[in-house]
Amino acid sequence: MRILVAMSGGVDSSVVAGLLKSQGHDVIGITMKLWEGPNGEMPETGCCTAADSEDARKVAAKLDIPYYVLDYTSSFSENVIDNFIDMYAKGLTPNPCVECNRSVKFDHFIDQAKKLNCDKVATGHYAKVIQNDDTYELHKADYLDKDQSYVLHMLTADKLPYIEFPLGTISKPEVRQIAASLGLKTAFKKDSQDICFVGKKDYRDFVNKRINISSAGEIVDNNQNVIGEHDGVHAYTIGQRRGIPGGQGEPKYVTKIDVNSNKVFIGSKEDLTTKRFLLDDVSFVNEIESGNLTIQTRYNSLDLPCELNQIKESECEVILNSPTLGVAPGQFGVIYQGTKVIGGGRISSKILESADD
Amino acid sequence: MNKTDYLYLDHAATSPMREVAFDAYKLAEQNGFANSSGGHALSRNAKNMLEDARDFVASCFGAAPSEITFTSSGTEADNWIIKTPFLNLDSKNKHIITSQIEHEAILGSAEWIADYGVNVDYIPPTKDGVIDIEIFKRKLTSNTDLVSFMFANNETGILQPIHELALATKKVSEEILFHSDVVQAVASEKIDFHKLGIDSAAISGHKIGGPKGIGIMFLSSSFKLPSLLHGGKQELERRAGTVNVTGAVAFAAALKEQQVNLDFDRKRMLEEKNDFEKILNEKLDIFVVGSNVDRLAHISNIQFKGVNSETLMIALDIEGIGVSRGSACASGAQKPSHVLEAMKVDFEDINSHIRFSFGWNTNIGDGRFAAEKVISVVKGLSN
Repeated sequence: MRILVAMSGGVDSSVVAGLLKSQGHDVIGITMKLWEGPNGEMPETGCCTAADSEDARKVAAKLDIPYYVLDYTSSFSENVIDNFIDMYAKGLTPNPCVECNRSVKFDHFIDQAKKLNCDKVATGHYAKVIQNDDTYELHKADYLDKDQSYVLHMLTADKLPYIEFPLGTISKPEVRQIAASLGLKTAFKKDSQDICFVGKKDYRDFVNKRINISSAGEIVDNNQNVIGEHDGVHAYTIGQRRGIPGGQGEPKYVTKIDVNSNKVFIGSKEDLTTKRFLLDDVSFVNEIESGNLTIQTRYNSLDLPCELNQIKESECEVILNSPTLGVAPGQFGVIYQGTKVIGGGRISSKILESADD
Repeated sequence: MNKTDYLYLDHAATSPMREVAFDAYKLAEQNGFANSSGGHALSRNAKNMLEDARDFVASCFGAAPSEITFTSSGTEADNWIIKTPFLNLDSKNKHIITSQIEHEAILGSAEWIADYGVNVDYIPPTKDGVIDIEIFKRKLTSNTDLVSFMFANNETGILQPIHELALATKKVSEEILFHSDVVQAVASEKIDFHKLGIDSAAISGHKIGGPKGIGIMFLSSSFKLPSLLHGGKQELERRAGTVNVTGAVAFAAALKEQQVNLDFDRKRMLEEKNDFEKILNEKLDIFVVGSNVDRLAHISNIQFKGVNSETLMIALDIEGIGVSRGSACASGAQKPSHVLEAMKVDFEDINSHIRFSFGWNTNIGDGRFAAEKVISVVKGLSN
C-alpha cells in the first residue's frame, strides 16, 4: 500500500513512518508548513519550527523514504489564526489544534494523498479507527493517558477509511523504544506542548499585536459591584484564578466575559458550575446515539456522564448528570460512548445564561 | 528507487561533478595539500597549481589573472560586491540599482545594506521577463554607485540585455561599478567580461560540473573594493582564509572540459529542451515562460494550467524525475517565485510553474523521455 505520513519532526510521527515502512508499505513523508513569520521564516519555538522539519527530513532520510514540506500557510492563517483572534475578541477560549484538524490538516492531507495515488494517510495521533462490518468507528487509544481522540472528533465516517493511526495500540514508552531501535534521532525528543504559532511566548502578546482589543474595562462581581480594572477581556478565560483582584478570603474565578459591556465577571467556585449547555458546529462520526454517553469538555479531561438532545442539525443540548466546573465557551465538547467517539462541537457562549437553571 | 533510473533535470540548482574534476581534485589534494601561502617547497607546489588554475579561469573569461579572486561560492562574490563598497563610508546618498528578478544572493545583500541607509532601486522586468531598460535609464544618475543585473535569470533562463545595460551605465558615468551575476549563464553561454562591458562578476564552480565550495569574483583592475573576510593576507590581500587550492584546481579542470565542449553541449541541451517543450505543447495545456525572447539553452520554465506545482514536483520525484519550482529554501517549502511575481504572472497560475534544467551530462533523448513522463504524470493528477 502507498501511505502518506504526516511527519512533524516529533517522535510519534517518526515511529509511524518507521513502522509502516518496516511493514513493507510504500511510505511518503510530508510536513505541513502551517505558520511562518513575516519574512517567510519558520517559527523558532512550538511545533513546525525549522528545526522540527529538519528533524523530520533526517528521519525520512534515515528510513530512505521520499519527504517533502508542503505549504498550507494561507489556509492555516484564514481558518486557524483568524479564528483564534476572533474568539478571544469575543471573550471565548479557542482551541486552535482542534480548529486546525477540523478545517485545515485532514482535508488537505487526504486530498494530497489522493493526488499522489496514496491508498491511505497516517499520523502519529493516539487514537484508533475500527472497522465494524461496513462502518468505520473512531475510538480512544488503548493507553488513555495519551489518548488524542478529543482533537480528532470531527473526522466523519466518510474520511475514516482513508486514515490510519498506527499508535492507537502502543504506549508512549514503547514508541520511544521503537524509535530508538530504528535508530531515529527523534527517539528521546521532548514532546511539544505549545500552540505552534505562539510558541513559548504569552498568547496575549500575540493577540495584542493582531488586534486592538486592549481597551480597559471593569472587573465586577455577580451584583455588578466594581472590584477592579482589566486591560482587555482577551487576557481572561473562564475559570481563570490568576490575576484576579481580592486575594483574601474565598478564591475568586472568572465566571463570565461580556464583550459588549467590556466587563469581566468574577465569582466563587460555585458560580462556575454548569449542568446544561449547548454545542454549536456539531458533527457526528457516524450518527447520533443515546445511552451511556459521556462528554469531555477539555482535552483529556474527565469523562462526564451526560444526555444529548439534538436541537438543530448542528446544535445539541448537553445535560450533565451532575454539575461540573469550568466549562469554557469556545472549547470543544466531545461525546463518547465507552471508547467510541460519537461526535462533538464547540461549547456555545449561551451556556452561562442557562447555567443557573 | 534505483538512482541510475532517475532523470535529473535540476542542473540549474547544481550539476554533478565531472570525472576530470574528481581526478584533478584527488591529484591536487595529494600533491598540493600544503598551504599555498607558506614558504616551503610543498607550499610552492600548491601555489603553482593555484596560479595555473587562476590563469586558466581568467583566460576563459577574457580577464587578467589579477582580476580573479577565488571565493567559497557565487553567493560570497555577490555579497562582496554589493556590501563592501558601502561598509566604510557614510551610507547616506549612496545609490544601488538592481532588478526585482535577481538571485537571492543579490537581493538579500541589497536588502541588508539598505538597512544601513543605502538607497536601492529594484527595476521591474517587462511581462516578457526582460529587465526594463527604459525604467533603468530613468533611475540612473551620475551619483549612482553600483548597478547589478544578472546575465540570465536562474528560474526562467531569460537572457538580459547586459551589454546595453552596461553601455547605458557607462554613458552616465565611468565610475559606476557595473556588476553581473553570471552564475547560471556560464553553464551554457560563452562570456568575455571585458567585451561585455561589465566591471565585476560572480561565478560558481558547481554549476558547470566543478566541486561545491569554490567560486570566483571577477573585479576589473579599474576598481578596488575593501575585503569582506579579514585575517591573513591571502589572495593579494583581498580575501583572508587558507585558499581552497584543491577546489580551484578541480574547478579549472571542470571548466576546461566545459569550455572545450561548450558549443557541442549547448546545441545538445537546446535540442533536448526544444523537443521537450514541443512534445509538451502538443499534449498538454502549458505555457513556456519567455518563449518569445532569448533564453539560456538549458532552462525551461513551464506553467501547467490548473496543476499545483508542489504536487507535480512530488509526483515527478516519485516517478523518477528530479525538478524544482525555482530556488531552494531552508524549510523545503516553497513560496511563490519572486521572479514570476515581478513578471506579473496571474495569481492563480503562479503556483503552477516548474523549472526543468538540462546539463552537461544530458543525453540525446532525455527531452522526449522527460516529456512523455511529465505528460503521463500530469494526466494522472488531473483525473
